[in-house]
Formats: sequence, structure tokens, C-alpha cells
Amino acid sequence: MSALSDPRGYWADLTTPERGVVAAITAFAVLLVLGLLTGALAPAYFLYLVGLAGMYALLSFGLNSQWGFTGLINFSVAAFFGLGAYGTALMSASSSPIAGQFLPIFGLVAALVLAAILAVAIGIPTLRLRADYLAIASLGLAEVVRLIVLNEREVTNGSAGVRGIPTFFEGWPVLETLPQQLPGIFLQPLPGTRLVFEEPFWSALLNVVVVVTFVAGSYAILRRAHRSPWGRVLRTIRGDEDLARALGKHTYRYKMQSFVLGSIIMALAGVFYAHLNLYVSPSDLDPVTTFYVWVAVILGGSGSNRGALFGGIVIVTIREGTRFLNSFEWIPVDVAPLRILLIGVLIVVLMRYRPQGILPPQRELIWPSVVDEAPDQPTSGVREARTGGKDD
Amino acid sequence: MVLDYLASGLVFSSIIVLGSIGLSLIYSIANFANFAHGDTMTVGAYAALVTFGATGGLGAGLLGLPLGFFVALVVGIVAAAVVAVLTEKVVYDGMDAGSIELLITSIGIAFVYRAIIQMGFGADFTRYDVQTLRPIEALLPYGIRVTQHDVAIVVTAFVLVGGLHTLLQYSDLGRKMRAMADNPDLARVSGIRTDRVKLWTWIIGAGLAGSGGVFLGLYNQLSPRMGFNLLLLIFAAVILGGIGSVYGAMLGGFLIGMINQLTPVLGQLGELLPLVPDTFAIPIGIEYANAIAFVIMVAVLLVRPRGIAGEGA
Repeated sequence: MSALSDPRGYWADLTTPERGVVAAITAFAVLLVLGLLTGALAPAYFLYLVGLAGMYALLSFGLNSQWGFTGLINFSVAAFFGLGAYGTALMSASSSPIAGQFLPIFGLVAALVLAAILAVAIGIPTLRLRADYLAIASLGLAEVVRLIVLNEREVTNGSAGVRGIPTFFEGWPVLETLPQQLPGIFLQPLPGTRLVFEEPFWSALLNVVVVVTFVAGSYAILRRAHRSPWGRVLRTIRGDEDLARALGKHTYRYKMQSFVLGSIIMALAGVFYAHLNLYVSPSDLDPVTTFYVWVAVILGGSGSNRGALFGGIVIVTIREGTRFLNSFEWIPVDVAPLRILLIGVLIVVLMRYRPQGILPPQRELIWPSVVDEAPDQPTSGVREARTGGKDD
Repeated sequence: MVLDYLASGLVFSSIIVLGSIGLSLIYSIANFANFAHGDTMTVGAYAALVTFGATGGLGAGLLGLPLGFFVALVVGIVAAAVVAVLTEKVVYDGMDAGSIELLITSIGIAFVYRAIIQMGFGADFTRYDVQTLRPIEALLPYGIRVTQHDVAIVVTAFVLVGGLHTLLQYSDLGRKMRAMADNPDLARVSGIRTDRVKLWTWIIGAGLAGSGGVFLGLYNQLSPRMGFNLLLLIFAAVILGGIGSVYGAMLGGFLIGMINQLTPVLGQLGELLPLVPDTFAIPIGIEYANAIAFVIMVAVLLVRPRGIAGEGA
């Protein structure tokens, strides 16, 4: 049932929180379009925001497949994100202290391989631990990774960071020079506003294409994986690990697979970030990134991928929205801490009043055919079935 | 040189111990890893900063500190305890949640504390308005460079820890707390008012953290991130000592503080140890001092999750 072909039926089919989310997204989209039309929001910057939202969505997918599905408390999101960013940056950047100058596509491969290796390395000691120990240990190991990136100057350039990262499509036919070749377009949708679509806009558009591809690909893979028997084992582990073990599942192996899968998706977000920002520094591994992603996942609803997508958008709104507030002179307090405050309050309020999140997983974990073909009413009563149809 | 490292290790250990005792108490009695503990230390430090601004150079000096500073220390302890109790009453108490949910909530609390402090005081480093002292002359011939402030930190920490020891061993509340840490259900059925004991645990734990924060500010500087940056070291201390054991936390805090400050020795092993060539050294610089503690923490979790002094897992 699509929203376009049958809007009324689609609306009636939604739960109350889903309606709220749909309404909020619609209102937000209208606001953004108004901002674009009046020129308050530059189109290229808007696309940058879309890119960031996609990046957070990827990070949330990664964490969701670890925490939401398997119940692994991973507090080293920032380490995998940073490793992905550094992996591709060191491979492709012109100022890279080690390899450098490779095509970004090799950077992508290198970053994902690195992330998988690190995931196994962190997973081997930590995945056997009790849940709350895993949280502390993974936060500690993420800090170790950050310290290594900060201090091994010969390899990572230290606190100066890596500059001169090419865009993702460098070395590709056509796409590499596409932004330069596309014409500049000027529009005047409303009197007094002037929209400019030039090279920065087209390259931002290409970035959005990249991230949308990444997000759609990850979403499809995760959706398929989590509906599979493999995904059901993961959810059993989250619910009751002893039960999964009693059913003969090698839970450590499943946890490791889930951990590596999630970490690779986080690194993918890092790869995209490096080619979006064109500069990476050790501050990108700050643990606060980890907690942004946690808020996104908890807010969206642990275990729900569309929730993670929604959470990612909210996080970017908080992150960039507080920056926007900064331009108002009349606000008496420093706005930078407002972001941390909002994140903190969101965590507390969510955990206190709605720990399942706004869009908890419902039908998306079940094959649609199972729901659609299920009869509304049992064809025969229970007693009937027991007694073989004879009612006395 | 080594004596100097040991001396500064002792000072740093005192701060870590003050933080780790509270974390360990709360971990065992409230039953979750409190990620807001580091920021509770920050609360204490900034409360003392405000008080010290008012009491200033009140009274005569003791160990290079005016008496007003000790007033500020008490205010810092009280402020940290009050904030923690309010948080417990408003947030944690009403939650019907497991330890994982409480852990995640405490991260939110940590951010709230930090953000409010940053709004009030800015993100920059500040200091207490006390005179910077020169190292004590009498110890310089031994190569030890400690100031009277460092001595004040260690002495006060000893007093506080000694007081806690007396409380735990000889008072009624201490016995109840130990009983509850051992087995909450048994403590409850034997008539102990567990909710009241829990409240006292928060007061004592957060109060000690507040004092640790004040000393951390005196030892280094104050910044809104000071407590959060120390949190993982404190976790390392608690885990090394054994979660739930107060004396384990003391030992773990001492060891972690020492290891942290003794890291430069690794680069000079050849000169210090007999029987090895002078050039022998473990190439780990001081920039990895914290990383060593984290790796030790993970290793302890793997090999002996109940730590040095903890009973059964």
C-alpha cells in the first residue's frame, strides 16, 4: 500500500506515533522548502545537510545492528567512524604521510577492511563480557584508538589531520568532472530571491547521490539480513542469550558477525564523511559522536532501521540547528553547550518515559506476506480443533 | 627521578581513589555503572570555585591554602552530594529499568551536568585563585618536586578515606551498607531500610567524588570536561580493584594513579634497572599513559572480572 496511490488508506494503516512522525517530517519538509524558496537556506548547504543526515543514518544503522538487534552495547562508534574516515583519507589524500594518491574507491575498500580487522580485534576480548562491562571496555578501547591516531604522527599526521582528500568520484569517467561541466542555473522562484545552482551545488548533489546509495544499500542488506533466520537468532540473543545458547546457537560467533557487520557500516559513514568534508582530524574520533549516534538509535527505536533513519535526521537537526541559533545575538547563554544539553535531556527523557523509542520495530521484522496472508479470524475455534470438530 | 614520579603518582592516586570509591559503592548498591560520576566531580570542583571566590583569602593558611579553601572544599562535597541525590530522586528512582537502561540514562545525566556548567562558566580552563607554590625545598635534594598543595591533597584524601573506613567498619550505617552490597535481597528481608541506605550511598559516593573534583582542579585546572576525561581512568581503577569492594577501589585507584604517573619510567628502564643495557626501554611515551590504564582494564575484565579484591562474579 503506497502513500502516493492510496494516501487515505496509508494514513489509516499507521499507528499513532507513526502518524506523528509522518506529520512532523511533512511539516519539516515544508519548512525546508520555504527556506529554500526564500533564500534563507542556500541549496548547496541544504544538500550538505542531507549528506550529514545520510551519514548519521548510516552510523545509526551500524549501531542498530549491534545494539538494536543483538543487544551489544558498543560505545566505540566514534572509533569505527574515525577509522573509516582515516582509512580512505590516508589512501587517497595528497598530504597523506603513508600511501596517498590512490583512487578513493581503493580508500573505501581499505577503510572497510581496516574496520573489519579492528572490529574483530575489539570483539575478541570484549564480546564475551557482561553487557555493562562491554560498554566500559569498548569506550576505553575507542579512546586507545583515538590516542593512537593522535600520537602516531608518522602514520596519521597527528593533530594536524589529513588535508587534500579528493572527492569520492575522482578518477571516475564522466562523474569526476561532471560538476564543472554542468551549466550554472539561476532561478528566481519568488521576487527578491535568487537561487544559484553552480559547481558547488552539483558536487554537493553528487555527494548526496553517494550517500543515498550507501544508505539504500545498507538498508536493503540489513532488512534482508534481519528478516532471515540469522536475524532471528540475533534477536533471540538480545532477548535472552541463555535461551539462544540452550537452542544450540554459538552466540559468541553470532555476536561477532553482528559486531563486524555494524562496524563496517559505521566505517562506510566515515568514508563518506572524509570525502564530504575533504579533511579529517583526530577530533572526529571524539566520543561525543558515539553518543550522538546512540541518541539517534534510541530515539528512533532500538531495533528499527527506519527509526534509525529518522533518528539520524533529528540528530543533524539538533547539531546544525543549534549552530543556526548561534547567529541570534539576543540569546544570553553560550549556545555551544545547548547541543550537549539537548542530547543529554533527550537521552534522559527517552529512557525515563519511552525507552522503546518513537518508532519501535513492528511489522518491519516480519515478512509482509505472513501478515497479509494471516486470516483475521481463526477459521475454527480452539475447542473445535481439539475435539476434532464435534461440538457437544 | 623515580622518587619524583612516585610522589606525583601518590598525589594523582589520591584523586583517583576519591573518585573510584564512590563509583564502586554506587555500582554495587544502585547496581549500575554510573557514567555521570566523572561529571559529579566537575560539579564539586565548580561549586568550590564559586565558594572560594566568595570566601577568598579567609583565615590563616594551612599547607599553602587559606582556610577559605577548606570551606570551599566542604561546599564542593555538599554540592556534589546534593546534586547526585536530586538526580537519584528525580530521575533514577522512578525508573523501572535494568542496569543497562540506567547506564544509558546516566550518560544523558553526565551531558546535562556538563552542559549546565559550560553554560555558566564557559568552556575555557580556569584555576582556583590560590598562589602557585614552589616545590618544598627540603625534598628537592632527593629529586622530589611536590608543593604544599600536593601534600594537602594527599593528607585530606587520607583523612576522608580513613573516615569512610571508620564509618564502614564501626557504624550501623556502614554495616548496613556492607550487607546491602553483599546481597540486597537478604539485607531487605532482614529489616534494613534499603532505600535509605541507597540514599546514603549516593551521598557518600558523590561527596567523595566532589572532593576528588576539587582536588583535581587544584592539581591541574578546571574545565567542564575535566571529570568526563577522568571517568575512564576511574572505571579502570574500580574494575582493577573489583566492583563493589571499597577497599578494592582504594587499591585499584592507587595502582592506576601510580601506573599513570610512572609511565615515563618505561622509557628509562635501562638506566634504572640493573643487569640490562642502558639503552633498554619500552617505547611507550607518556601520551599513552591513559591508554595503558584502559588496556589493563580490558585485560582485567577478561582474565579476572571480579578484580583484585572482589568476591564472586
